[in-house]
Amino acid sequence: MTVQARSLVQITAPRQTGPTLLDRMRRSSLLMAILAPLAILIVWECLTRVGLLDQRFFPAPSSIIVSLFALVESGRVFIDAAWTIGRMLVGFVFGAVPGIVFGIMLGLSPTVRAFLQPVIAALYPVPKIALFPLIMMIFGIGEASKWAIVAIAVFFQVFYSTLAGVVNIDRIYLDVASNFKATRWQLCRTIAIPGALPFIFTGCQLGIGMALVIVVIAENFGTQVGLGYLIWQSWQVFEVRDMFVYLLMVSLLGYGSQMAILRLQRAVIPWKKDDAG
Amino acid sequence: MSSDPSTTLDRTGLSPPAFPKIRVRGLGKRFQVGKAWVEAIKAIDLDVQAGEFICIVGPSGCGKTTLLRILADLEAPTEGEVTIEQSDPSNPLSSMIFQESSILPWMSIRRNVAYGLELRGVPAAEIDKSVDRFLALTGLDRFADAYPHQLSGGMKQRASVARAFANNPEILLMDEPFAALDEQNKALLQEELLRIWSETRKTVIFITHSIDEALVLGDRVIVMSRRPGRLKTEFKIDFPRPRRVYDLKANPEFGRIGREIWTLLREEVVGP
Ligand SMILES: Nc1ncnc2c1ncn2[C@@H]1O[C@H](COP(=O)(O)OP(=O)(O)O)[C@@H](O)[C@H]1O
Ligand SMILES: [Mg+2]
Repeated sequence: MTVQARSLVQITAPRQTGPTLLDRMRRSSLLMAILAPLAILIVWECLTRVGLLDQRFFPAPSSIIVSLFALVESGRVFIDAAWTIGRMLVGFVFGAVPGIVFGIMLGLSPTVRAFLQPVIAALYPVPKIALFPLIMMIFGIGEASKWAIVAIAVFFQVFYSTLAGVVNIDRIYLDVASNFKATRWQLCRTIAIPGALPFIFTGCQLGIGMALVIVVIAENFGTQVGLGYLIWQSWQVFEVRDMFVYLLMVSLLGYGSQMAILRLQRAVIPWKKDDAG
Repeated sequence: MSSDPSTTLDRTGLSPPAFPKIRVRGLGKRFQVGKAWVEAIKAIDLDVQAGEFICIVGPSGCGKTTLLRILADLEAPTEGEVTIEQSDPSNPLSSMIFQESSILPWMSIRRNVAYGLELRGVPAAEIDKSVDRFLALTGLDRFADAYPHQLSGGMKQRASVARAFANNPEILLMDEPFAALDEQNKALLQEELLRIWSETRKTVIFITHSIDEALVLGDRVIVMSRRPGRLKTEFKIDFPRPRRVYDLKANPEFGRIGREIWTLLREEVVGP
């Protein structure tokens, strides 16, 4: 748009030229996404080479990559990753399902809400990991206690999101269900669950993130497998390079699980305006 | 125009039944707003015969929606009572078409229209037949598998009309259903509504703020006072049926009654 003398305003279509290489790079979101981490790694590498970073705590990225290849070749890390994923998933399911069920029950019924919400609200602020010793006393130090602690953490995230989702459903849709004489279960199935689904997915995303945090800490206890165990183990033997490889794997696991839930969400919620791309 | 309801069933050649389809006595509703009470409607008496088409006009905020919601059993009255005669307990008694958009965003248009039938467990083949029919009547057949966010406001409103009709209730409660439509669509749907109504003989209570619309559709037009809403005056409309919207508007009698109703409404809004 150019403004000329005597306030003539002219709007012209932008010139149609082919995208330059720079344009194409800007548009490639994958390229943009790896640019910043790449820069950090290069700076990191340089800083360790010139001795500004302590190699004992921050080994050069090139040496970490060497460790990575060694560990991947041995194959052991994949078994450990599988254990961690398994614990996360089992705990997640045991937490998310009751979270959704209670969220919907409390969301639909003011009576149930008045009855149960104070209890849940009182338990919520307890740091979940502080419960772990108690959980191990109850469930033993094996797998069950890990599932339980993950489940507890996931429950609260999913529960509160679901509750907010149900409470925020437009009243008119409840009137519609009531006008068409929906039973309690039909109300859940056709209004409460689909209406709260975007919120439920947000809760699941928060929940899976929390599950990873909890499982990595919990794997310090009573187990010889899992990425969390390997991290604690490499701390004990001061194997910093390996530790960085495991940290990398944990972060990939976190990223991957978020993406999986996002994918699921897009498949399950086809009625949303396409806002997430 | 008389306000005598005893001739409303002349079309069917039946004498009026002893009990009306809907009988409203002394109906009142107060809402608590903070510490104050808002009286929405007051002392409403109304008899509606089976198969009758009643239109209610009134200034905005006078309690029309409140009256309809009480009739739909979505709201409890604070005074008085409503008696509705159900002739077939296996069919739904009433369906409401809401003033605001009430189409469920998470279901396709087809599933929205099928909603009432699906909840009642009607066999799938029967649902499909009925849904197809009303989708076609409301001009939505090409959008059956679309989701509501892909449709215009007017199309969503048509879908909620189709949903109520497909449910096949004895009574249709319609709250300004065509207010959001453009002039052409409105006239088409009005005629369609009249056609379906003459086929199915449903009892209809139709709320509108358009005097013309009330005169085109109704057997009776009831004018409500401003809040707290009471039924102020009643006009019996006996233009011959079937009515065609634009033929009717050319009728001098149409203009005369319209003006009379307008004068009454004007008094309610700005005072006499
Ligand atoms: N749930 C409610 N709570 C409080 N006030 C209400 C409620 N519903 C309606 N009202 C009030 O009752 C009056 C009548 O409302 P309504 O029936 O929607 O009018 P209309 O449909 O004729 O425009 C209005 O003053 C409105 O503010
Ligand atoms: Mg209204």
